[in-house]
Amino acid sequence: MRHLLAGLLLLSAAAANAQEGFPLDGTWRGETVGKDGSHRTIVLVMQWDGKHVTGTLNPGPNGTDFATGKLNPEGWKFTLDVKTRQGANVHFDGAIADLGKYNRVLAGKWTEGTSSFDIRFVLE
Amino acid sequence: MTTRKRMSNGALMAVLLAVTCGLSLQAMAAPPRYADGKVRLDRMPGEKGYWDKPGAASLVESGKKIEFLPNGKLKNIADAANVAPFQPWSLALYKFRQQNNLVDDPMKVCMGPGNPRQMMTPGGVRFIQDNNYKRMYMIFGGGNHNWRTIYMDGRDPPVAEEVTATFLGLAVGKWEGDTLVATSTGFNTRFWMSNGGLPHTEALTLTEKFKRVSKDVLEYEVTVDDPRTYTRPWKAAWTFSWVPGDIEEQFCETGRE
Repeated sequence: MRHLLAGLLLLSAAAANAQEGFPLDGTWRGETVGKDGSHRTIVLVMQWDGKHVTGTLNPGPNGTDFATGKLNPEGWKFTLDVKTRQGANVHFDGAIADLGKYNRVLAGKWTEGTSSFDIRFVLE
Repeated sequence: MTTRKRMSNGALMAVLLAVTCGLSLQAMAAPPRYADGKVRLDRMPGEKGYWDKPGAASLVESGKKIEFLPNGKLKNIADAANVAPFQPWSLALYKFRQQNNLVDDPMKVCMGPGNPRQMMTPGGVRFIQDNNYKRMYMIFGGGNHNWRTIYMDGRDPPVAEEVTATFLGLAVGKWEGDTLVATSTGFNTRFWMSNGGLPHTEALTLTEKFKRVSKDVLEYEVTVDDPRTYTRPWKAAWTFSWVPGDIEEQFCETGRE
């Protein structure tokens, strides 16, 4: 019963945050696990100004603004270029899934410096 | 017998003509006014009635001949690009929603219709003119049984980034002759602008014109200006009919159409 209630609460909270405008607008959170088992969270805050996708990687003291962000509605493909505070070049190549849902997914390949990994962001 | 039949046919014609003329005259009757001459958008004292039967069920740019199903689905998906002057992303999203059978429509889970969809939602609308506080209240029977305020005191429209975004926006209004002109900003993005799935962003500004052209007809025109979603501002227009009686109670229940 408690699980059911918790589930319902989560559902209602998510529905309350439903976002129906530009599909990338909002805060996206993704997690990856390193080879040593360490967890790393990556946060993207994005918005659409009518011409460009702008945004910030990991907002906060170490946040950096996107160099470029491009959404291609054909297949809802998204590419992002940004430099981390430590100076590493990042390139992300992915696509939006579950477009109609409030908790849609942005999945793709994250390349940072010489390493790369697959990652799945979820719109919060 | 033949003469009597002719007479009865003639009488019937006369009755029909009188009824038709009566109805036309009633539809054409001048709109009621306050003592100061301003048009009264609501009922007269002692009268019961409200506006309903919106003359359009789906939002489309004025002048476009596009056929929709009652639920907002295009009869021909090839018409999608002509519904409004879309940006590429908004056209793609509109097509996705159409081809996905509108299953993600927020109103299916009892979210508010937002505006201008509220103005296409049957159920009734009334205008309560508060001349003391210089405000117009609109109360709605359709959607979530909601209301909105139009401030008529001459203030400027709010800056969208500085207010809490809402489904119906924040409106200021003024009279231009007999036409009430309301400008709304501060919309959230939690609704579809039409049952067909027209998208918008927080940059949306709506300019609405309400004109009671006769006792029983209200003309409505809306200009949609959202440069993040559409390549230029665009208009749509429809009418409402005066319905005797009171707005009926209704509530949205999830899972029920």
